[in-house]
Amino acid sequence: MPFSLHFSPTPLITAPSPLSKPFFLVPYYHTLYAPKSPPCSSTEHALTHQGKQEAFDRRPEDSQTLPLGLRRDAMPSHVAVIMDGNRRWARLRDLPVRSGYEAGVESLRKIVEICCKWGIKVLSVFAFSSDNWFRPKVEVEFLMSLFERGMQEDTGIFFRENIRISVIGDLTKLPKALQELMVNLEEATKNNTRFQLIVAVSYSGHYDVVQACQRLALKAKCGLIEPSDINVSLMEQELETNCTEFPHPDLLIRTSGEFRISNFMLWQLAYTELFFAQSLWPDFGEAEFLKALLAFQQRQRRYGV
Amino acid sequence: MWHLLHVTIHLCYFAINIANALESHLISKGLLRRYKSLHISKLQYLAIVIESEDCRTSNVIELLQWLADLGVKHVCLYDMEGILKKSKDFILEKFDGATLFQENDVLLDQPLMTLEFASFSDGKEAVAKAANVLFMKYLKSGSTSSYQGEQIFTESQMGEALKTVGGNGPEPDLLLVYGPARCHLGFPAWRIRYTEIQHMGPLKSMKYGSLIKAIYKFTMVQQNYGK
Repeated sequence: MPFSLHFSPTPLITAPSPLSKPFFLVPYYHTLYAPKSPPCSSTEHALTHQGKQEAFDRRPEDSQTLPLGLRRDAMPSHVAVIMDGNRRWARLRDLPVRSGYEAGVESLRKIVEICCKWGIKVLSVFAFSSDNWFRPKVEVEFLMSLFERGMQEDTGIFFRENIRISVIGDLTKLPKALQELMVNLEEATKNNTRFQLIVAVSYSGHYDVVQACQRLALKAKCGLIEPSDINVSLMEQELETNCTEFPHPDLLIRTSGEFRISNFMLWQLAYTELFFAQSLWPDFGEAEFLKALLAFQQRQRRYGV
Repeated sequence: MWHLLHVTIHLCYFAINIANALESHLISKGLLRRYKSLHISKLQYLAIVIESEDCRTSNVIELLQWLADLGVKHVCLYDMEGILKKSKDFILEKFDGATLFQENDVLLDQPLMTLEFASFSDGKEAVAKAANVLFMKYLKSGSTSSYQGEQIFTESQMGEALKTVGGNGPEPDLLLVYGPARCHLGFPAWRIRYTEIQHMGPLKSMKYGSLIKAIYKFTMVQQNYGK
């Protein structure tokens, strides 16, 4: 089934809505092409009950679309991406910075599509770091509106393609409307199982560790755990990546030729294969992604043992 | 078709490896001009991550000697299992040009290189211990906060708590990974927010020219720290 994003004035939302929140009706300028094969989440829900979820996740068309050289058994379950280079991309083309960010969103959509096709279960993207709040106010406001617009526009796609959305980061700093949209979208897609997109917004690795400590402290204070119980394993459970079955990325890709993690998932990346791509994020496409995956599959990884 | 593709890819990688080896040789002989003068002062603190299985003290000492020759003043040696930590006395004895890094040491220019030895216990385990320290302080403070959204700890408090348990050192400017996998193997995560990371390949195949190239690349980087 083709995975495509097309926009037109006619609204067509087919997915069942567990909530009655108005935002489901919001994407009125967006349309869905009727898929040729199963795919709305009610059908997928039925398949789950019949224990055929596995068959659905490995649909025949998915296994046929794997490029030559890539092994399905060695695909990473969780890929993380630092989407760097949007502003540079715009500057190189004498375009305003916002064009770079918009091009970045398109690039993200393509990579999500490829992940779904190639059987990667989780994609985490570093959309906005805690440090990014220090960018010019106009730029930050544009990014917030871009996140809001993007999530609204693609809501139908998330349901049609059975994609779960999770958001990690300090959401209290975001505009209220965006916070609400994100929380609603997480709740509405939480039962989607084909693919999970984790969007890190107002996030940093330091923040994640501190909030995990905080949660543990509150649990200990309430008597749910003993202070002496606080260990590495409990810390792991309280990190914001506990929203996924695969909290540790197998592969991290950073674009634009920079060779650092920039405060992203510091704890979770201990054994993650690091791939630093030269291209800027809006130019990062299937070919480069394939290169990263091939490099990942060729590495001899001992996971520190 | 598959075999042809396989052979082609192998030939490409072979050619790349030959080119890299040649470049490394030229760099170490000082024949490539741009690598001749390194702005080594930009490299305040260097971390070396080594796969525990590949930890050969002879290679480590040779590497340290190269770094000393280049003028690197502060180095942290890390391997997950703490093999380097256990060999610390031996390494310091065999490598004359170093002293043990003390936590309160300021990163100033000094005649001898300072060496820090770290392992997994200084990473995630230290953070868990620091979490305990923070919690005990929180209890003692008698705070009545139970609202999950309220911030009761800060990043700087975590930093201080890590210092208390001996898990907080300087943030390395550059981290070199020697091993088959391109990952940092649990190096204290709290310390590598903005650290440049370079994968150097197995320790037994280390090359002086590659080391110079990695440091040179680092000195050319401009960071904007997310701003």
